[in-house]
Amino acid sequence: MIITNLPIWIVDVAGSAAMIVLSLMCLRLALRLKRLDQSNVIWTYLAWVCYALCLFAFSRGAGHILKQVLVMAGRVNIWESIRPVSGSINTLSFMVVSSVTLFFHRTWIIYRDIQNDKLALQSLSDELLFLNRHLEHLVAERSKEVAVSERKYRRIFEVSKDMIAVTGRDGIMLELNPEGYEMLGLKRTERLNGKRFKDFFSEETDWERIEKMLENKGFITNIEIELKRSDGARMGSLVSGSYDRGLPVQEETIHFIVKDIEQRRMMEKQMAQADKLASIGQLSAGIAHEINNPLGVILGYSQLLLRNEKTETDRYNDLKTIEKHVKNCKSIVEDLLNFARSSKPEIKTTRINEAADDVLNFILHHSKLDGIDIIRNYDEEAPPMLLDEKKIRQVLINLLMNAGHAVGKKGRISLSTEYIKQDNKIAIKVADTGYGIEEKNLTRIFDPFFTTKPTGEGTGLGLSVSYGIVKSHGGEIIVESKPGTGTLFTVLLPVVSP
Amino acid sequence: MVQLSAMKYILNKIIRFLPVFLAVLFFSEQAMATQMHGGIEGVVVHQMAHIVFAGAMALLIYWLRQHGLVVNPGWRQIQYAAVFFLLWNINAFIVHFLEEQVDILDMAQIEPWQLRLQAQPAFEWVAWLYYVVKLDHLLCVPAMICLYSGLKRLLESPASESRPGKMEGS
Repeated sequence: MIITNLPIWIVDVAGSAAMIVLSLMCLRLALRLKRLDQSNVIWTYLAWVCYALCLFAFSRGAGHILKQVLVMAGRVNIWESIRPVSGSINTLSFMVVSSVTLFFHRTWIIYRDIQNDKLALQSLSDELLFLNRHLEHLVAERSKEVAVSERKYRRIFEVSKDMIAVTGRDGIMLELNPEGYEMLGLKRTERLNGKRFKDFFSEETDWERIEKMLENKGFITNIEIELKRSDGARMGSLVSGSYDRGLPVQEETIHFIVKDIEQRRMMEKQMAQADKLASIGQLSAGIAHEINNPLGVILGYSQLLLRNEKTETDRYNDLKTIEKHVKNCKSIVEDLLNFARSSKPEIKTTRINEAADDVLNFILHHSKLDGIDIIRNYDEEAPPMLLDEKKIRQVLINLLMNAGHAVGKKGRISLSTEYIKQDNKIAIKVADTGYGIEEKNLTRIFDPFFTTKPTGEGTGLGLSVSYGIVKSHGGEIIVESKPGTGTLFTVLLPVVSP
Repeated sequence: MVQLSAMKYILNKIIRFLPVFLAVLFFSEQAMATQMHGGIEGVVVHQMAHIVFAGAMALLIYWLRQHGLVVNPGWRQIQYAAVFFLLWNINAFIVHFLEEQVDILDMAQIEPWQLRLQAQPAFEWVAWLYYVVKLDHLLCVPAMICLYSGLKRLLESPASESRPGKMEGS
């Protein structure tokens, strides 16, 4: 078919010219973009794309226009010689455009990374600027918070009623709270340097045990030990502690919390003692009742027989011996009943100072207390009170007789009374400077028939009876003793006003 | 600055060696020691360049979409430019292919403004196809217009246009 090539010619020439113009316009825009932000790698990339497209548009557009002009002018031979060069440049320009285009992905990733880094840097810069501007304020605020926190924990450390001790790994004490100083009997002014915590342990094996447990577990909880105060006194304690591994630059420390359980242990001992005595009392009362009746019969019949017997006969003497021993037995039974508090007290108004003084005078008359200093110290404020005076006197006789026996030939016995207003109690104290009571005997002294005196010198019922009498009055009897120093008996009686 | 210096250096080199290059290109005699590259080789290389160009444009479209840039109007226009260039390459490939099919289609300029397109029987449509695809500037000029429009949009709001969209997720 034969067809006009005018549309092809127009589109070819106009299109080529348009391509050249448009590629230049694109390059101009791309360069303007690049000038906006020289460091923007994407704009640089677009500029390179536009350069490549310019090369493409020029090589192709110029070639096409030249071809059309030469063909129209009948110079086909000239075009034929130029054609391979034009085509080659055209091919090369395609490759250049393609090559530049293929860098887009990598360029974009670089651009994105730069942008992210830029943002991160900007954020850091903002943060630094903020810190720089507000540093003083922030430091002041933080210091205040630290000070408040430090004060709070310092107060806990200082006002704690348990010992808080900080030691090094080797057990050398670094810090000790005021209660710790108190518990260990140290002066607050005393410095801790060099003191080891284990030196305050009664048993060295306790420390070794604790050290091993800390090594294995890193902490210990409620380990019962006995601490030794600086004055030598022993104190039952519960120890808890843990390792503080601290910061890498800090030394490892051990934090201990020590609870004083001596009071609790004493209470437990006293309760056990009271339980034991109550049981013995019940047993004694039962036996005494059972023995008392046959003793009454024996005594009655022996006295009936004595009435018809002439004196100075052997039979009379035998019956008298029976009567005497039965009476002794009855006295013991009566003491047992007193201990068991089964006999009813005869209450009457008593002035305790007068009663105590009478008892002391009676003892001074009937016992050999020469060479012993007697000290009386009565509280004049002691009010009259309802008591079984006879029995309280018996208590005081027992205590004073024991004191006299403990002191021996030389020493001091003091008898004092004290009115304790806040508890509304009277304390009667009998103290001596005798040989004291050994610790192992302290829990047994109130047991019936317990005595350290040689056989025949004591029945071992004096303190038991006294205990029973004081308990029947709702009171307490407390003993404090140190072997070689002396003993103090304190009778605490509630004041019942007449 | 470094880029500009590099460009100047390359341009200087090209200008210096251009006369030698042109002399070798137009006045060279047959050199027996080297392989000849006449005939169809030039067309094959040119066709390959069109394929590479089309592939580059397809990749560009894919990357623009992958990075979520097409949500921005400027980059969307550049994507359209890439689509037109891709179509233009296919079109140009067909033109060159048909020009080589002398057994099917015979073409000659018989008058300054007249063409004779002689197709084999049953291949008349090839003559019409050739006539249409010869109007290839109808694809590459819109591609340049889209590129221009895209660059203009980028220039109007460069900060927001260079921000990645949702598709990239960053």
